[in-house]
Parts: sequence; C-alpha cells; structure tokens
Amino acid sequence: MSRQNVKPMTMDQGFELIDAAVTKLKRILEGKPEPAFGSHEYIENYTIVYNMCTQKPPDDLSQQLYDKYGGIFEDYDKHTMLPSIMEKHDEYMLRELSRMWDINKIMVRWLSHFFFYLDRYFITRRSLPSLTEVGMTCFRDHVYNNVHFNVKQVIIALIHKEREGQQIDSALLKNILDLFVQNGKGSMERYEDDFEKFFLQETASYYSRRSSSWILEDSCPEYMIKSEESLKKEKERVTHYLHSTTEPKLVEVVQTRLLVLVAKQLLEKESSGCSALLRDDKTDDLSRMYRLYHEIPKGLEPVAKAFRLHVTSEGNGLIKQAEDAATSGSVEEQVLVRKIIDLHDKYMAYVTDCFQNHTLFHKALKEAFEIFCNKKVAGSSSAELLATFCDNLFKKAGNDKSNDDSTIESTIDNVVKLLDYISDKDLFAEFYRKKQARRLLFGRFNDDHERSILTKLKGQFGGQFTSKMEGMVTDMQLAKDQQTGFEEHIKNGNTGKPKGVDFTVNVLTTGFWPSYKTSDLNLPLEMVNCIESFKAYYETKTKHRRLMWIYSLGICHLNGRFDPKPIELIVSTYQAAVLCAFNNTERLTYQELIEQLNLSHEDLVRVLHSLSCAKYKFLKKEPASKTISKTDSFEFNSKFTDKMRRIKVCIRLLCLFLQWMIAVEDVDKDRRYAIDASLVRIMKSRKVLPHQQLVSECVEQLSRMFKPDIKMIKKRIEDLISRDYLERDTENPNTFKYVA
Amino acid sequence: MHKLSRTNRDKLQQFVSITGASEKSALQALKASDWQIEAAFDVFYSQPQPKSNDPYSDMILAEGVSVLCSELQVEPQDIVTLVLSWHMNAATACEFSKEEFCGGLLALGIDSIGKLQEKLSFMRSELKDEQKFYEIYNFAFGWAKEKGQKSLALDTAIGMWQLLFAEREWPLVNHWCDFLQDRHNKAISKDTWAQLLEFARTVNPMLSNYDAEGAWPYLIDEFVEYLYDKSVVEK
Repeated sequence: MSRQNVKPMTMDQGFELIDAAVTKLKRILEGKPEPAFGSHEYIENYTIVYNMCTQKPPDDLSQQLYDKYGGIFEDYDKHTMLPSIMEKHDEYMLRELSRMWDINKIMVRWLSHFFFYLDRYFITRRSLPSLTEVGMTCFRDHVYNNVHFNVKQVIIALIHKEREGQQIDSALLKNILDLFVQNGKGSMERYEDDFEKFFLQETASYYSRRSSSWILEDSCPEYMIKSEESLKKEKERVTHYLHSTTEPKLVEVVQTRLLVLVAKQLLEKESSGCSALLRDDKTDDLSRMYRLYHEIPKGLEPVAKAFRLHVTSEGNGLIKQAEDAATSGSVEEQVLVRKIIDLHDKYMAYVTDCFQNHTLFHKALKEAFEIFCNKKVAGSSSAELLATFCDNLFKKAGNDKSNDDSTIESTIDNVVKLLDYISDKDLFAEFYRKKQARRLLFGRFNDDHERSILTKLKGQFGGQFTSKMEGMVTDMQLAKDQQTGFEEHIKNGNTGKPKGVDFTVNVLTTGFWPSYKTSDLNLPLEMVNCIESFKAYYETKTKHRRLMWIYSLGICHLNGRFDPKPIELIVSTYQAAVLCAFNNTERLTYQELIEQLNLSHEDLVRVLHSLSCAKYKFLKKEPASKTISKTDSFEFNSKFTDKMRRIKVCIRLLCLFLQWMIAVEDVDKDRRYAIDASLVRIMKSRKVLPHQQLVSECVEQLSRMFKPDIKMIKKRIEDLISRDYLERDTENPNTFKYVA
Repeated sequence: MHKLSRTNRDKLQQFVSITGASEKSALQALKASDWQIEAAFDVFYSQPQPKSNDPYSDMILAEGVSVLCSELQVEPQDIVTLVLSWHMNAATACEFSKEEFCGGLLALGIDSIGKLQEKLSFMRSELKDEQKFYEIYNFAFGWAKEKGQKSLALDTAIGMWQLLFAEREWPLVNHWCDFLQDRHNKAISKDTWAQLLEFARTVNPMLSNYDAEGAWPYLIDEFVEYLYDKSVVEK
C-alpha cells in the first residue's frame, strides 16, 4: 500500500488500537475465554507500531509509544498484580506471586514483539532501556519491592515447617527464590539482602536452640549423629530450592551453631566424650567426629587436643601403675614397656584409621608420648628401662623358642619408635652398650637380632649413635675367627699346649667396649700357661698391639673333686684362682690368700664370701660367721656335695648401683664435651650472638641426642670464656663474641 | 751514717728498705739526685747492677711495700694502695717492678714521699668516679690473684669485695659473701668477677629487674636462688 496518500495515524487512534490488543492479551493471560492471537493480528499490531514510528515528524510517535509501553506495565502492575497478591496469605500469596511473575514474563514477551520496532531504532538511538528491561523493571518497582518482605516471612515460616518434619512445596519455593534472584537484574543483591540474610539469621537461632537442648539430653555420639543428619538435610535444602551460593554460608552457620560453639562441652562429655570413645574403641563415632570437624577450619584442633590429653593420661596411668607395682624399687620394665608399646599401637591405629593420618593427630600422639615417656619411674629413667627391656628381650630370645623372629623384629621396631620419644637418647645408648657388652661376653646373644636392632637404630638416629655397638658385635665375630686360628695353631703344636686346658679368648677393641678395670691377679700356673700360649700366638698375628687382660670378666669350668662325687663348677676367674690355690694346700688364711693372689681387699672379700658363706660352701671358713674378716682361715670342703652335677656360681664384681652411677657419669661427661663442641661450632660460624639465641641454637643442635640442661650450657659457656674461646661484648654483656 | 741531716737519714733508710739496695749505693743515688727520692730511684735503677741471682732485685716486694705504707701513713690494707697500684699498672699485689713504680710516679707527677702523700686523698676520690671505679675494680682481679693462677682465691676475692664495696655501696655485698662461703667454696673466675659489678650496678636490690633468662654467670643465678631461699627477697 503506498504511503503517500495515507494520512498519518494520530496518537489517539493508535493508542486505541493498542489498548484493544492489550486488553485481549490480558484476558488470555488471566485465563479468561479468549481466542489466541492469530498471525494476522500479530502483524497488524506490529504494523501499527511500525507506522506510528516511521511517520514523518511531527507525526513520529516513537517517544509516546515508548512511554505508553511503560505505562501499560505500570498500570497493570500497580492496579492488578499487586493488589491480587496482597490480598492473599501464606502459601497462597506465594502462588499468586508466582502466577503474576509468569504472567508478567509472557506479557513482556508479547508486548515487546508488538512494540519491537522501537527496540530496533528508537531505543538504540537514544540508549534507552530495552522493552524487556522496562517490563521487568516495572515489575520489580511496583510489585516485587512491595511484596518481598512479606513473601520472605512466608518462605522462612515454610522452611521452619519443613525443618520440623512437615512436607512443603519445594517447587514453589524454588520458583519464588528464583524470582528473587532474577529481580536482582544480574547481581545476587536482591536474593541476598531480601531473603538470604534473614534466612541465615533464622537458621542460626534455630540451630542454637536445637544445640542447647541436644547437648544436655544427648550423648556425644547421638549428638554427632543428629548434627550429621542436620547438615545433610540442609545441603539437600540447597539442591531443592535454595540458590547454590547459599550452600557454603548455610553450612558454616550450621556448623558454628552445632559443632564449634559447643565443641568443648561436646568433646569433654563425661561418659561419652572423646576420651570415652577412645577408651571404648568406638571407631565409627570417632570417624564421624573427624568427618564433622574436618570441614570446619581449625575445627580439628579441639579434637586433637582432647586426643592428646587422653593419651597422656593413659600413659601417665601406666607409669603410675608401674611405680605402684615396683617392689623394692625395681620396676618391672618388661611389663611396662610392653604396655606402652601396646598403647602406642592402639592409638596409632586411631590416628591412621579414624583420623585419616592427619598431621594434627600424629603431632598430638607424639606430644603425648613425649610427656609420659620421659617421666622417671620409681627413680629409673625411661632410657634405662628401655635398655633393660632390650637386654631381657635378647637374652630370652635365645632360650624361648616361642618368641619367633618376626615377633622379635616387630618388638625391635616398636623399641625404635619409643626411643624416638625419649629425650635422653644418649643415656639409652650408654646403658644399652653396657648391657650389650655383658650379653656378648657371656655368650647370650643372637647375632641376627643384635645386628637387626643396630641397623634400625642407625637408620633412625645416625651412624654415630651405633658405631661403638656395631664395633662390639663385629669384635665378637672376629673373636670367633681368632679363636679358630688359635686352636689350629695349638693343634699344629706351635706353642706349648696348655696342658689339657681348653682356653677361649675374646679379643676386644678398646674404644668400642665399656672400660673395665684390670687387676694384677696372680693366676694359677695352669692359667698362666694358657695366657702365655695365646700371647705367643697373638704375636704371630699382629705386632704393635698390646693385650690388656680383663680377668674380672672371665669364666672358668673347674672339676671339683669332692669326696662324695665330682661336680663341675662354673665360676668366675677370680673365684677359680681362689679355689685353685687350695690345690696345693688344704688350708689357707685370709692373709696368705691375699698375698698369694694379689687381689684387692674388696674383691677378695666378695669372692671368699661367695665360696664360703653363700648357698654353696665349697670352702669351710673358720670361724663360721656370716662375714669375711681378715683373720679368717679357709679349708677346702672335701665333703661338699649337691644333687646337681654342675653348679654355676658367678658374682658381679661391681654392684648394680655403682654400675649405674658410672654409666650416668660417663654420659654426663660426654654431654659436656658435646655441649662445648656445639657452642664452639655455633659461635665460629656466627661470630657474634646474643645469649638467648646461642642457648636455643645449642639446644636445637643437641636435641637429637639429649635435652641439654640450660644450667649446664651456661656453665660450659663460662668455661669457654675462661678458656678464651668466647668473650662477652664490652658494650652488651648479654652478647658473646667468638675469639679467633 | 755520718753527717746526714735527720730528713736525709730518714730518706736513706726509706730508700734502702724500699729498694733493698746497700747503704752505699743508696747514698750514692740520693746524693746524685739531690735527695729527691723519685729521681734517686731512677738513678739507682739505671746504674748497672751487680749481677745478682735474685730475680727480685729490681723489685719492691712486700717488705718494701709495708715500709712505703708506713711512710705514707696508711694501712697496707687501705684501698688506696689498690688505686696506687692501678696508676702504676702493677701486675701483682704487694709487688712493684722498677718500671711500674717509676713509670707510675712519673705519670702522677710525683717525686717525693710528701707529694705522694698529698696525692692520696685525690686517689681516694677517684673511687667515687663511676668509670674509674669500674676500671679499678676490673684491674683488681688480675692484681689480687696469685701469679700463674687463672682464678682468684675465694678468701682474697671476698676481702677485695668488702674493700671495694665499702667505697661504692652495694646492699647485697654481705649476702653475696655469705652465699659464697656457704655454697660455693671455690675460686672466682674473671668473668664472674666482672659480671658481679655489672649485676651490682644494674640489678636493684629487690631483684625486680633481674632477667633470669639473661646471660648472667651461673654463680650469680645461684646467688639469686639463694636470696629467694633465704627469703632475703620475695620472688
């Protein structure tokens, strides 16, 4: 149709047509009986707008159309939509809102189609909001802004209902909340400020109330189950109708109320808290506890703390038990160490299983063990007890076949683990070494076991820790070879055969073994021959080595030719020397003995006591008192007899207490050297250092072996000052300088 | 002794006692220096000495010192002798080598006993000066100890402390000495000696500013413990 002859449409004309279309649309949307728009109607409406826009000015009615469009929505929103929503309540309000929202969306769609031409030129030219935008903004301004408060109240009430166990219409809520989001026009502001904020507040007070009542009524496991359940439900809520961004905030609120604020009360519950669960092996509950607290930042700390306190108290309990059971000051270390090992296994299992190997729990376990493993038990240090434990373990291993190799191996592993917790490791090393020496020398050892523990100790604590001990074990090996060589040598008749006396020698390397005192004991002739014969043999093997004979550690097998029957006697060399003195004379006085044998008084008294006043009286003493005096005389007891054919009488030449004292003194001495060396090393590299730092660095350096006493460090520093290794800074006497 | 005035006779006696020289050489030296004692010493010592096996021939020893003291009209235990020794940088108590004695007198501008006597009150006042007291105190350690020893014998140390802290008050000095006799009974190291002054200077008698974590020598830490134990100070 040609345009020239057509009169421009007036505004009134156009609007009338548009209104008609809008009314029709409204009727359709409101569900009233109305035929749908046909395609020609659609085109007509579009064309009306088109024409009105393309008319030559002043008949170009774009602006008016734009305003009209806006007006349509404003009108409908204010006068139809809003009232109809407001007159309803609760769920019905929500439904109505939802309905209106849908209607609005369709209306926007249709009308923007009709008014589309505006979008193409007018709007873009003038940079105005698009038709869709106008429609949505109207809704927001005139409907949403007026209803959201009440709507939010309804939603929250519904959620509360659902929490209390009732069913609600999730889909409806989802729609409404979606509506909130969309009314934010791209940002989450509306959702967050108009709904989420209140929702979270409400959630917080809800769970506060729950938590208060549960914590009083329920046991820890029950509470945890309820918490877990609640968290699960809340997460489901999110998937059902809340926006996904709410999830982390919601979880945090629930966790805080249910788990964080009551952590102390919960974990410390009398008969069902962390302690009780650990004690009663409730792995499921503990795992749940871990799961729940793991998600909370720093949430595991109170749990780890409870764990540590519990383990510490269990450990302390064992220590106390051992103290109480210790009769006459001697602790049953076998029992105690085994129990500690078991304790360790039990709680380590918790750490690896329930607590998923988390470092916090490893640390808690370590700290707990470090506390009670370093306590003294009835005056004995743990280092000593552990060494004694190992000694007994290896001594028994030879005898007791039921202790098979794999058990021994796993016990050794446990020992190494325990040693890690003990701070005075050097003390352990010293006691272990002394006991090892006795084991090796008296033939009660198993080479494999000895080497196995040393390898493991070396792996954990370094070669320096085990070098002496390894040296000792190697010595025994070499000694065996040496002995074979010696016997060969004798067989070949190279030296004077020691007259039918079987003689075994262990050659020890001095540096490795504990120091033993020698003595100038006068040996009986038979033994002297043995010594000489070995000396001669040894000369052929190596020159430039001096042999120091330690008779105090020797063992002799003697044939006791008693009248009733001969009995084999297994005695120490000292005892043998005394007995052999009676080979030539029936009777000897104390004085004669001491001159003949050249023993010290203490030694002789001890030996004579063991032979004449103890269980087996090989010698008769005159007078027959219980103690040895210098005026006594002795006679060979030819009448002696016993049902056994072989009797073993060995004596320790140094009482246990003295041995202990020597060990402790040696360790102290070594520590002084170690501290000195460490201080000098540190100062040499740092040149100038304040006192505090020097001390703390020194402690750290030495911590692998022992925990140095601060007072000792101070004393060593002063000693180094007097020996001109260090000096005080003249300006600041709290700082030390290295003296080159 | 012939035709000598009273004063000169005294001077001669003094000279002999102090230097251990023979009357003849003493007379010679004094005459040569116009009866000025200090110059006389100089003369005497600069003379080639007869070879003597006595290593102490060039020294003023204990006897000489006590004569000197009586001339000066002071007790030998008077602390002023310490100050004098300090000026002379003497190595050991009750001994002055020629260099020390002459050098010291020279530095002080003294050439007669009289002048020395006058200087004494000045020397006493020097002890009140904080810095000088510090130097004299630290000097005293090396001076008071036995030759060849590294540490100072306890009795000597206690004596020295009593002497020194009479000049500069330290309220805890008696407790310190009691403590040492009670609990320590060993010689005192140089470090402990030096640090004690520091302690007396910086830590107040109530021990409120005592830093247990500080670098105080072990003995001083023990002393503090002792004070708490004996309830001399509240913890």
